[in-house]
Amino acid sequence: MSDLLRGLLKGAVGPTDNDSRFLLDVHSRELPGEDTMRRYAPNDEVDLVVIGAGAGGSVLAQRLARQGWQVVILEAGPFWHPDEDWVSDEAGSHGLYWTQKRIIGGSDPIELGKNNSGRGVGGSMVHYAGYTPRFHPSDFSTMTDDAVGADWPIRYEDIRPHYEQVEAELPVAGQNWPWGHPHKYPFSPHPVSGAASRLWEGARRMGIEMRVGPVGIVNGTFGNRPHCIYRGYCLQGCKVNAKASPYVTHLPDALSHSVEIRANCMASRVEIDQSTGKATGVVYHQEIGGQEVLQRAKFVAVAGYSIETPRLLLNSTSSRFPNGLCNNEDQVGRYIMVQGASQTAGRFPDELRMYKAPPPEISSEQFYETDSSRGFKRGFSIQTVSPLPIGWAEHVLADGHWGRAMREYMRDYNHWATIGVLNELLPQPDNRITIADETDPYGIPIARMDYSLCDNDRANVAYSTKIITDILHAAGSQDVLTIHRYAHLVGGARMGSTPSNSVIDANQRSWAVPNLFIADGSACPTQGSANPALTIMALASRLAQQMASGAAMSDDAVVRAGRGASEPARR
Amino acid sequence: MPDFRKPSHLPNLRSDGQPPHPSWLPRQRVGISPQMIGRYPDFDVMSAVDTWDHATKKVVLARLEPSGPMRFFDTEQEKTLRAFCDVVLAQDSEPRVPVAESIDEKMASGQLDGYQYADMPDDRETWKAVLGGLDQTAGARGGHSFAEATLADQEAIIEDFSTGKLSGGIWDQLDPKRAWSVCMRAVLSGFYSHPWAWNEIGFGGPAYPRGFMRLGPTSTTEPFEKHGSTSEDPADVVKGSHS
Repeated sequence: MSDLLRGLLKGAVGPTDNDSRFLLDVHSRELPGEDTMRRYAPNDEVDLVVIGAGAGGSVLAQRLARQGWQVVILEAGPFWHPDEDWVSDEAGSHGLYWTQKRIIGGSDPIELGKNNSGRGVGGSMVHYAGYTPRFHPSDFSTMTDDAVGADWPIRYEDIRPHYEQVEAELPVAGQNWPWGHPHKYPFSPHPVSGAASRLWEGARRMGIEMRVGPVGIVNGTFGNRPHCIYRGYCLQGCKVNAKASPYVTHLPDALSHSVEIRANCMASRVEIDQSTGKATGVVYHQEIGGQEVLQRAKFVAVAGYSIETPRLLLNSTSSRFPNGLCNNEDQVGRYIMVQGASQTAGRFPDELRMYKAPPPEISSEQFYETDSSRGFKRGFSIQTVSPLPIGWAEHVLADGHWGRAMREYMRDYNHWATIGVLNELLPQPDNRITIADETDPYGIPIARMDYSLCDNDRANVAYSTKIITDILHAAGSQDVLTIHRYAHLVGGARMGSTPSNSVIDANQRSWAVPNLFIADGSACPTQGSANPALTIMALASRLAQQMASGAAMSDDAVVRAGRGASEPARR
Repeated sequence: MPDFRKPSHLPNLRSDGQPPHPSWLPRQRVGISPQMIGRYPDFDVMSAVDTWDHATKKVVLARLEPSGPMRFFDTEQEKTLRAFCDVVLAQDSEPRVPVAESIDEKMASGQLDGYQYADMPDDRETWKAVLGGLDQTAGARGGHSFAEATLADQEAIIEDFSTGKLSGGIWDQLDPKRAWSVCMRAVLSGFYSHPWAWNEIGFGGPAYPRGFMRLGPTSTTEPFEKHGSTSEDPADVVKGSHS
């Protein structure tokens, strides 16, 4: 559907080729079809085994199942039953995060868990805030344009139709979008809360444009998905089914097309036939201390996200790949990225109660592109957020307060509004996943993540923090509190034009193993300053199209190298 | 009568960086808040408990149950832990939110956050080292254990801990600033997940399946929520507003 029509029809026409919204039950939050799900035997050679039931793996499975592929998804975490398992409570939502141990190092170690790693059917999108911006066309050629980051082997135009399709499936609500490649959203913007409107006013006074959305939260009628009830617990798992995650957007349709989700199954390695060099399936544990099981498959897609995907590859050693699968060029685990996610909060005379309405409300991409006058390359986006009490306490602590001062700021909670940034931090080879000396309860070696900021990153964080602080002052804040933090993950098994600078080719097929694909955020060579969920889904959607048509299996060197840097991005 | 529209009570805006003594705050009139103080004396989040979904109710109400004896920390560590929690949360009298108990429960059940700094031990060992370090520093400064030190001494030690200034002995085995963040994460989660703390700060609490309707800017207060108010006699306030 054309962008113009989408804007005019605003949700009146739903997405095709995905019935998830009709398969859901109005009265219960179960993923329909769990009991009647098709079951395959490990010895059945299915068409595809996917590791990880998150944003990438779920979309890939749903798309290919619709093309008649037999698909098994192995998921390390539980098969959620949200009515019982999810709660309207911060501390009670601990189980949604990947809390298995990882070691963090480097000069700027990244705290993992709730900001970036999910576990269970639906993946991290179960607890993401809900922001679903697109990448800009410039994100695909930062090396050519700015001599930083990397060029993708594909261009914005290659995933644009998939952005449009996924936006219709989530469905995304927001104002017409003026930045990057201008576009419209299928659903109208949500109402703006009192807290966010203060921030918007401050931005307006500074000449900074902001827009409502874009968020993957139902605003209107969408099959059996209810309208948002504005209770504010987006980051704790949406008990309403209003916020998009694969659990409600793609997996219901996947199950109805014979996909099997095997939950609580921890993959330990990809099995390789040493004579042919092809993957024959995936070995996994069904329980701690249990027997290893091999699920045979014609194709394997790894979608465990930027830490678990490299970890699995590095742990899949064999005589052909003594340093880990696809790692003979020493590229696996490198160029992992997080986004700077500093937040500042401002105090206002009125009770704003920022915990109401979705935490993601309004955002700006005015600072997304390189502006040489700022003194650094690339940029950042600005987004309003709304921490609940524990998140707010961490914010107050980060500003240096404890004891009586902490209690005083906490009692003032209802008078505060919070605004944050997402900085595009640059990909660097030594920001990487390696294997630590310890093992997890399954006996699988755990991951270590090293992260160090570069000068461009620091300049970006400092500049953007000043901008959002200025917004608060312009809005009339009486006091300001700041926290520096990080969020999101991408990279770690990136796509590129040659095996010497990447793990996978332009169709996300590994250079080293002919029937192995990477189908998650690990594939991204750069990250822009957009939240990654929508792009991960759009990439998986494109990958499915390329796999179904056979284009992804092409051994033509030109096809595999992709567009390279020869075609500059459309600005 | 304090005017909450003004920010004069906020530590950053005061010359000593500290808030006024909490005696200016109203006593809680309904429900319970920590030390029975707060800004919303007529608000009790538990008044909405019948509108919470079953799963949430179970998880939140469990925090109000009395807890058993400590399972992870020994009796010496327990004393230091309780003193530490009291000081960093300024809980100087009953009723106290049982934060030490929630930390013990987390450590005993191994409910950790999923990451460990390369130069730090496991969170459980970090906690034990920190408690030992607090006693060591208190002993060096005043000859007492941390729990027996004066409040002023305790606060001085915590100030140095929070700014990474403690060193020597146990403190050299870990990065004190990172240890501070490990400990405070658990402390804050234990305190601000408790409904009494929600009463103190006027947080509306769980809202599924009811949701919130009054998002602002016109009004931000649901009928069961209450505006911030003071310790004045409500009758006088009502009379005053009509005269």
